[in-house]
Amino acid sequence: MRSSSAQMEIETPTAGGHGSGERRRLVAVSGRRAPLAGFWRQGLPAVWSSGFMLLCVLAMLAGMLVLTLVRGLGHFWPSAMLQIETTSGAFLGPVRDTDVGRDASEAASERLQLKIGNRDLYGLDFRWFDSAAIQSRSHPQDAVTVEREEFGNFHGYLREVRVGERVVAGDAAWQALDAEINAARELRHRGLELDGQYEKTRKPLSKLEQKLESAQRQARARDDEASARIPELRGAIATEKERLAPVLQEIAAQRDGLVAERLARDALFEAADGTTKQIQLDEIVRAYRPNSMSAPAKVGLYVARLWEFIFHEPRESNTEGGIFPALFGTVLMVLLMTIAVVPLGIVAALYLHEYAREGPVLRAVRLAVNNLAGVPSIVFGMFGLAFFVYGIGGFIDRTFYAEALPAPTFGTGGILWASLTLALLTLPVVVVATEEGLASVPSANREGALALGATKWQTLWNVVLPQAVPGILTGVILAISRAAGEVAPLMLTGVVKLAPSLPLDGVFPFAHLERKFMHLGFHIYDVSMQSPNVEAAKPMVYSTTLLLLLLVVALNTVAIVVRNRMRQRYRGAAI
Amino acid sequence: MSQNTVKQDAGQAVEPKFAVETRDLRFYYGEVQALNQITLQIPRNQVTAFIGPSGCGKSTLLRCFNRMNDVIENSRAIGEILIDGEDIYHPHVQIEELRKKVGMVFQKSNPFPMSIEENLTFGPRMRGIRDRGRLEQIVETSLRRADLWREVEDRLKQSALALSGGQQQRLCIARTLANEPDIVLMDEPASALDPISTAKIEETIFELKRDYTIVIVTHNMQQAARCSDRTAFFYLGELIEVDSTEQLFSRPEKKQTEDYITGKFG
Repeated sequence: MRSSSAQMEIETPTAGGHGSGERRRLVAVSGRRAPLAGFWRQGLPAVWSSGFMLLCVLAMLAGMLVLTLVRGLGHFWPSAMLQIETTSGAFLGPVRDTDVGRDASEAASERLQLKIGNRDLYGLDFRWFDSAAIQSRSHPQDAVTVEREEFGNFHGYLREVRVGERVVAGDAAWQALDAEINAARELRHRGLELDGQYEKTRKPLSKLEQKLESAQRQARARDDEASARIPELRGAIATEKERLAPVLQEIAAQRDGLVAERLARDALFEAADGTTKQIQLDEIVRAYRPNSMSAPAKVGLYVARLWEFIFHEPRESNTEGGIFPALFGTVLMVLLMTIAVVPLGIVAALYLHEYAREGPVLRAVRLAVNNLAGVPSIVFGMFGLAFFVYGIGGFIDRTFYAEALPAPTFGTGGILWASLTLALLTLPVVVVATEEGLASVPSANREGALALGATKWQTLWNVVLPQAVPGILTGVILAISRAAGEVAPLMLTGVVKLAPSLPLDGVFPFAHLERKFMHLGFHIYDVSMQSPNVEAAKPMVYSTTLLLLLLVVALNTVAIVVRNRMRQRYRGAAI
Repeated sequence: MSQNTVKQDAGQAVEPKFAVETRDLRFYYGEVQALNQITLQIPRNQVTAFIGPSGCGKSTLLRCFNRMNDVIENSRAIGEILIDGEDIYHPHVQIEELRKKVGMVFQKSNPFPMSIEENLTFGPRMRGIRDRGRLEQIVETSLRRADLWREVEDRLKQSALALSGGQQQRLCIARTLANEPDIVLMDEPASALDPISTAKIEETIFELKRDYTIVIVTHNMQQAARCSDRTAFFYLGELIEVDSTEQLFSRPEKKQTEDYITGKFG
């Protein structure tokens, strides 16, 4: 019976197909209106316009990428130095920009912008010149770019190098310069080491002094026992001072010797207009002659500058040098955020999806969680400041760091609070993605585990959650993308323009999560908007933007690779 | 009250006569009644087949035996199901212990996305068996019983999802056996398989009945006739007739049964 009826069903349409009398033509007879009708009926306008819109979006993306790539990466290339003679004097520097403006007589005239450097001499780094005012142009082979710790670049010519009484001039000076710069920097480095040694030797004394200080504080609060301790401590300090004096004096003498040796090295430069300038060699980061450099040498310099950008500390209020603390701060903050948000999000989603009873309350909670994702981030920043920094941080300070008050330890913005704030911000994303991941696990697998005598929790933990991992990772990817680029809440919870030390270092307890930190996103804002020398900082903005983009891409790539690995594992053969 | 007396019987080591016994069982999905007054005895070490048209309640009844219906909200069972003389709907029943004792194989094979070995050790591990040697022993024994050992012995670490459909279903049988159950419930275990795999599964079932009580739900009357000792026919939530397979297929007592097995409806 069953099989025969099935056969009937199959036969019916075939029979109908054969039986129909009038046959419709498949090839349309081309009429006059037919193509236009087809044009609308097949929705071609929609197809074309959506394609065009996609093209616009892609073009914008590509434009952004090309802009950041060209501006961000071009900055590190040593560009040629142009010397110009004008009515107002001679200037030397790389051409930064050209444009066509209108002069006083309304005639079009070309202008060019030079990075003239020498901020300490001219007061500004960049200057526009009218072509008409330029009397001569040249690319002198011996023009030197000097990157300095302070006052930006110096552009000019090397006249002599002085090491104590020894003075080298002319070509020999250029030969000697690099070695002497290195020597000077090495001397400074050794000086810093000696400083460390000095501090270390003095440590017992410093400790006693701290004890005395706290005893005095307690004595002021009428603590008799503490007042009784004071004379004893004073005595101990005196003896300790006496004991350490010779050692400390010797270290100090050594250090002074190093300083004198270092200060004895300097170089005399002459700017394009003939002004001379004495520069301490240990102030020089590097000096080079871009006009006479070979291509490989330029590449070498390019790599060195790129390296400095990524792995060194900033100089000159962030407009020069590197951005390593910001890069490090961003990565660490995102990692801490991930560590905080993933367990929280998974647990919340597990409860919502597996344990909570369906009903109006659950629907309200879901709605609330989803809407959290739309709350402006600055609101999270406010919450983080009020709850984490002042609330929890203040409590920790009152409880564990009472002796340091009123100076706050945890009761002020720090990387921990910033990470937790961002964790809250990204929580909805992780919750929603995890719920979707849980829902995508076939119920057959749950039943299989339950039928084997597993408890609900065992089923969730061993069978359901592992299969939900790709979904969870999707949430993590989205969370990371959002967190890495978020700036507003960080400004309230612990990001700073310049952090004196990294949140991780070699000093016990190694992780100092209460410390303030630097962040690439804030760095971009700070350098482009708050910098004292915006023009000079421009290339840094592009380079930092590029690095932030790359960082987000890199973090995402890692998460995507992990997710694909997991997916592969659970795919297998479908029947 | 009756549970108590039965429990006492069990305590006195008087082996209850039947592996599964239902008394006046009714089952509801919300307001919809799926089973009505089922009273049925399933003897030990035999294969009992449940047949009947779709929606007749045979799967629901099967899923009552290990309380898999518990996961369905608003469902409730009224009446008694005794397994080895114990009422499994008694509030103090440990459901995990019940499900260990009453294993289940599903219509669609559902291996976990883990290695073959991990699939098999899942049940034992959930009950706290950690000893490697013992787990390896369990893997081999259960695979041999499900007649899968020779096909997979050299790739136990590979993903279970790489097996063929029939192998996956036999893996699920082996996984159930790894729990050392007394009763194995099979919910149309071969309906998604090709004829050769089906034959293998039936062969396995035949082998297994020496050690286990097997209850199998099937759509396929030939299958019921081939591999079961007793057959129960259900229609619209009622147990119409239960008898030895031979008897039921050759001389059914009820008209409905006869109509169904001769193909007049369904």
